[in-house]
Parts: sequence; C-alpha cells; structure tokens
Amino acid sequence: MSYPPQYPPQQPGYPQQQPGYPPQPGYGAPQQQYPAQPPQPGYGAPEGPQVHDAHSLPVNDNVNPYAFSVDLNGPYYLQKGKMIAYYGDVRFSGIGHGSIDRALGRNFNSPLHATDWVVAEGRGKLLLADRAFDLNSYDLENGNLTVRSGNLLAFEPTLALKQSIIPGFLTLIGTGKFVAASNGPVHFVEPPIRVDPQALVGWADCPAPCHHYDHGYMHGVLGGLRQLTGLGGASGEEHQFEFIGAGTVLIQSSETLMAERSVGLVHQEAGVPGGGYGVPQQQGHGQSQLPNVNVPGLGNLGDIGRRFGL
Amino acid sequence: MTGDAVKARNGCMVAYTGQMNFKKLSGGGNGLRGMVTRRLTGEQMEVMEVQGQGTCFFADRATEVNLVRLNGETLFVEADNLLCTEGSLQTGTSFTGLNGMASGTGLFTTKVDGHGWAALTSKGPAIILRVSQGQPLRVDPGAYVAHTGNLNRALKSGGGWTTLIGEGGGEAMQVEFTGEGLVYIQPSERLTFGGDV
Repeated sequence: MSYPPQYPPQQPGYPQQQPGYPPQPGYGAPQQQYPAQPPQPGYGAPEGPQVHDAHSLPVNDNVNPYAFSVDLNGPYYLQKGKMIAYYGDVRFSGIGHGSIDRALGRNFNSPLHATDWVVAEGRGKLLLADRAFDLNSYDLENGNLTVRSGNLLAFEPTLALKQSIIPGFLTLIGTGKFVAASNGPVHFVEPPIRVDPQALVGWADCPAPCHHYDHGYMHGVLGGLRQLTGLGGASGEEHQFEFIGAGTVLIQSSETLMAERSVGLVHQEAGVPGGGYGVPQQQGHGQSQLPNVNVPGLGNLGDIGRRFGL
Repeated sequence: MTGDAVKARNGCMVAYTGQMNFKKLSGGGNGLRGMVTRRLTGEQMEVMEVQGQGTCFFADRATEVNLVRLNGETLFVEADNLLCTEGSLQTGTSFTGLNGMASGTGLFTTKVDGHGWAALTSKGPAIILRVSQGQPLRVDPGAYVAHTGNLNRALKSGGGWTTLIGEGGGEAMQVEFTGEGLVYIQPSERLTFGGDV
C-alpha cells in the first residue's frame, strides 16, 4: 500500500544520480527515493483507480508523490492551508491557543511564523498537499535542517522549529519526522556546491551558507553598472549560494518558488540580520560617502560610491 | 471513437487523428432549459460536441486527467474540473445551497449521470477517498474536485471566536461528507474564500 516503497534508511540514496552519496550520520536518509519509482501502473486506468479509505491510507507515508498521509495521534504541527482532507476527529487550533500551549515553548520558537502554523490534535488520518508540489518526508535523528519556510508543510512535535538567522528560512532541530515540498523531485547533494537561489530548498548540517557572486562579472565600475542596469549581457546565473563543509544540500529540480508571504521583521536589535538596521553605522565613515548615492529615490546605484573607495 | 459523440469543454482538444467534427453546444449542451439554468446559476460551461472517426486527444493546462466510469450513478463535479464526457452521459446543474457559496465554489455544481466515461481534471493526480457509514470525511473546499454516490455535503466550521480575530486554525472551512460514496480530491488547493480564513 505504501506508494513510494520505503527503502531501508541506510540504503544510499539516489544511486542513479549521486553514486557517492553516503548515509549522513545524524541525518536520516530520505525515506522515499521516488525518482527510482516506475510510474504507477494503471494509474487512472479504466480497470479501477485506487480507492483509499481511512484504513487503507498509508501510515505516515505518501499517498502519491503529491500527497502525504499522516496517522494523527496527538498533536502535529502544520502550515496553514496544507490540509486537504481528513478522516476522524481532528481539531485545528492556531499557535498560541489550546491546551498544549505549554509545549509550544519547547517546540515552536519562531514567533514571526506563528500565524502561518496550526496545531492539529486528535486521532485520524490527515492528508496534506501543497499546490501539487512533490512531497517528501524526512527523518531527522538528533540533527538539524534548515529549509525555506514556504516549503515546510508539517513536523512532529518532537522537533523544535526555530527561525533561521537567514531570513525566510526555518531550522528544525531534534529527532522526528517532517514533511517538505519541492517543485519537482528533490535532490541531495554534498558540499562544496554552489546552487541557484531559486532552486535551494534547504540544507542539513552545513555550517557556511553564503552568497557567491561571479567575480569577473561584478568587478570594477563597469561591473557595478552592469549589475545595476543589466546592460552588457547578463546570463542570469551570476549569483549563487555557496555551501562548504560537511553536510547535505537539498535542491529542487525547478526554479518555482512559493510567493513570499510577509511575516514581519525580526526583533530590531543591532547585529541581527534583517532586523531593520544591521550593523550600526560607524561615525565618520558613513558621512564620507557621496551624499547622493544612498538617496532612496535614486536607488543605491550599485554601491558605486564604495567602488570608488569613498 | 467510432461515429459516436463526446461532449468536451471548449478549446481543450489538443490533437486528433481521423475525421472529426466539432460543434459548439450553447449553454452547456442540454437544451434551452439547461442553457437558462446555467446562465442563472453561474455554473457556466462552454461545451462542444465532437463526433467522428478516429482518436481525439483532450487536455487542459497540463493538469492531470482522471477517468471516472459511471454506471447509472451521479457524479457531482465542479464545472472547472470537468473535461469531457461520453455522449451517453447527461449533464445538468444541481443546487448545493449555502455550502457551496460559503466554500467559494459557487451555489451550484455540475451533475453528470448516465452510463459511460467522464474525464475530470485536477491539479496533480486526484486521490479517491471512500466514505462509508460511520466514517465521515472532511475535505478542504479548495481541494475538492468531485464526488459520486449517495453523499451528504455539509459545511463544517472548525473555527471558533479566535478565527474572527485572525488567529484561527487556518482550516476553518471544511466540507463534511457522510453516507456512502467516493470523493475525489486534488493535492492542491484552488483559491477560495474559505481557504483563506
């Protein structure tokens, strides 16, 4: 019944694509390797498509590549609007309400995203889906994984959800199972790697995600103008995210992203990225910039002032 | 196809071999009364009749196509999700009452009955869930595609007073199906009023 068959977790993932991908310690290999799946025979075929009921739905597994069935017994965290159907007695309550409020302090440490998440409680079978994106469940064993906030659908309360320092990303820490979406099958790659910003889904155990700009393209005044105006030819691939060190990077096979939802700003505090003002301006240095380069109406002219050493 | 007719939504033919005739059927293809009903109910459907010899291919925006066999049962489907039906099937409209309105899918829905095949579109392959006695199913209105069988539709609200102050559970609107039958859902949610509460 389990539609993507559950391979033993120790089996190296994606033998077709990543011949040398070893099982990562502390990070459960993906449960489904469904690129290896043959298309389900007879799907939608006249002789009878599969009919599910509350008992035949898989337990904590995919129904098809786009829908995931949760065997609910107790609380479960979901992103709002990802439930498509359920059997049984299930209640949904917003974060910050209900009887399990106390547990929230342990599990849910991202106040900015609180309005996007709900707690499902009760018993039953819950079906999750997201815009017909591919869904995968992952097991985390005493590990950490950072994922784009829109791509995370649900997680077990044994995991703790925290805001990543990188805006728009969430970090899961602990042991448990979570469900994430990707447009097209997800691929697991090992650093060092540079990935396109739109294709990045998340990463696990990587210490150093950073921006990478192609040097030749960005170099000098001409580069700044080119970046600003797009004149002189842009391949659209001048900017990547770079990952080094030990870990796993999750990428999706398309560049479609979920529309960003405004979640507000992080607490304004010096030194917090995205916190309104980052590093306090050094006296003197800030004054010495050209007076018109940072005028909001003009745009920042590609930080041209800094290129001149001003 | 050998000389028989298929009713399909306008513009969804992508290719055909052999001889085909395409004829527009006004107002949903069930006569003047059907046309008036559709116009009144807003469950409008531009339908064409295809007749001829050969193979005709239908598709719509790369959505998944699901085939449903009807043996005298009635299929209730949103007009947006109905791609084509065999000529032997009757289409009509049915009143869903306030349930449909509140869930954003309209007050009326399309009814298909008779013997033959109907093709439904869904974003992502449809999942078929069985509803039986004592085993009710609740579905997000945005994911609902169609249902067959003897089912009662009722709108359930999971939201309490907290929904009103914007701190609801996000799944405030659900359609509850009770009885005996099959429900088709898609792994995606269309935008509805109810989906946003």
